[in-house]
Amino acid sequence: MTVPLILWYYLWIAPKVLQVLLLGGMVRRGLHRQFPMFFVYTAFQVAESGVLLLVSRSHFGFGEEYFRAYAATKAVSVALKFGVIHELFSHFFQRYPVLAGTGRSLLRGARIALLLIAVGVAALAPGNGANLLSNATYNLDRAASILQAGLLISLFMFSRYFVLSWRNQAFGIALGLGTFASVELAMSAVRLYGLVSGTVFDFVIMASYHCCVLIWIFYLAIPERRAHGALSPLPEHNLEIWNRELQRLLQR
Amino acid sequence: MTLTIIVVAVALTTLVLLAALARGQAASSRLLENPAEHIRSVDVVAFRNLVDPDEEEFLRTSLPPGEFRRIQRERLRAAVEYVSCAAHNAAILLRVADAGRRSSDPATAEAAQALVDNALRLRLYALHAVPRLYLGMIFPGSRISPAGIAESYEQMTRLVVRLGCLQYPTRGVSAAL
Repeated sequence: MTVPLILWYYLWIAPKVLQVLLLGGMVRRGLHRQFPMFFVYTAFQVAESGVLLLVSRSHFGFGEEYFRAYAATKAVSVALKFGVIHELFSHFFQRYPVLAGTGRSLLRGARIALLLIAVGVAALAPGNGANLLSNATYNLDRAASILQAGLLISLFMFSRYFVLSWRNQAFGIALGLGTFASVELAMSAVRLYGLVSGTVFDFVIMASYHCCVLIWIFYLAIPERRAHGALSPLPEHNLEIWNRELQRLLQR
Repeated sequence: MTLTIIVVAVALTTLVLLAALARGQAASSRLLENPAEHIRSVDVVAFRNLVDPDEEEFLRTSLPPGEFRRIQRERLRAAVEYVSCAAHNAAILLRVADAGRRSSDPATAEAAQALVDNALRLRLYALHAVPRLYLGMIFPGSRISPAGIAESYEQMTRLVVRLGCLQYPTRGVSAAL
């Protein structure tokens, strides 16, 4: 086995092993009930890799059958990722019900805008016409990356404007997904024009996924900050100003 | 090819943005350590005056059109400044109150929840009001009355006092009530 091949298998298998540990950790801390969609997505990723690894090691190798299995599992994985993003949005709406209406409108608007962008990018992209299935898969992949990265950025902007406090786990999930979607988007665009080989593409994607899994493990492993349960002292001199304001209101 | 460059640039910008947000997430807790330093003074009476339709009408009838437009632009610019300050204060109070929602004292937790809701509403108003005020600067004749901001800010003030009372029952704030 050559070094690149060892590295290739490492990048394929190691994140899945880490994801198994992640699943165990989630069950142990009860996080699978708080983030069920992310739990299902992670479990599916592990199962998907197992299936693809078996197919690749069978007599099919990395041929047509392998690519069919890859395309099918990819479609399910993309759908689950959207489910995870929806779960992250819901997480905020539950914690801040005042924003539910605005948040849903934002989500709807962002979805429409991003969908139009994704369709535009897909329409303008050159088709190499060699293989219908691979073209469709890569186009779907790119469109999904645009949508996912865009939705996650919208979520981050939304939470930043409203100064919403993220729970560590939700932030980590969003950060990992966003990072991976961004890298996937850049690489799929570069690959489309043949600027990088398929091998380089696979290495970068797998390495970024590995980083993404490490981000998830980091954020899901660290305990939630509890110190914030204690109320910070309100500034005294400002309370005096507010006091005056209140007296003025009461005197009306 | 241009499309690829754009897509790659967008993707890289997104990555940089995510890294900045991850750093910001860690830094945001520092805001809670000393909220007093970040609070800006807001004169609600002055703000009400700036967005008062009667005041605007009075100026419209008293001043020549050119002068009215100039004055109105200045007034709206000042109103934007007030709204921004109110929204900024709301953001700080939101962080303070958000932490208080987990208080073991049910009254404090309830007051903190009310303050969070109100601060969020105020920032929502601000989000709608600022573009409308800028629109008013471009078209000084149009009717702009973001009075909701002033009301929300006053309500927030009352909630801050209430939360302050719960937090520090021995302070002067209780006398005001």
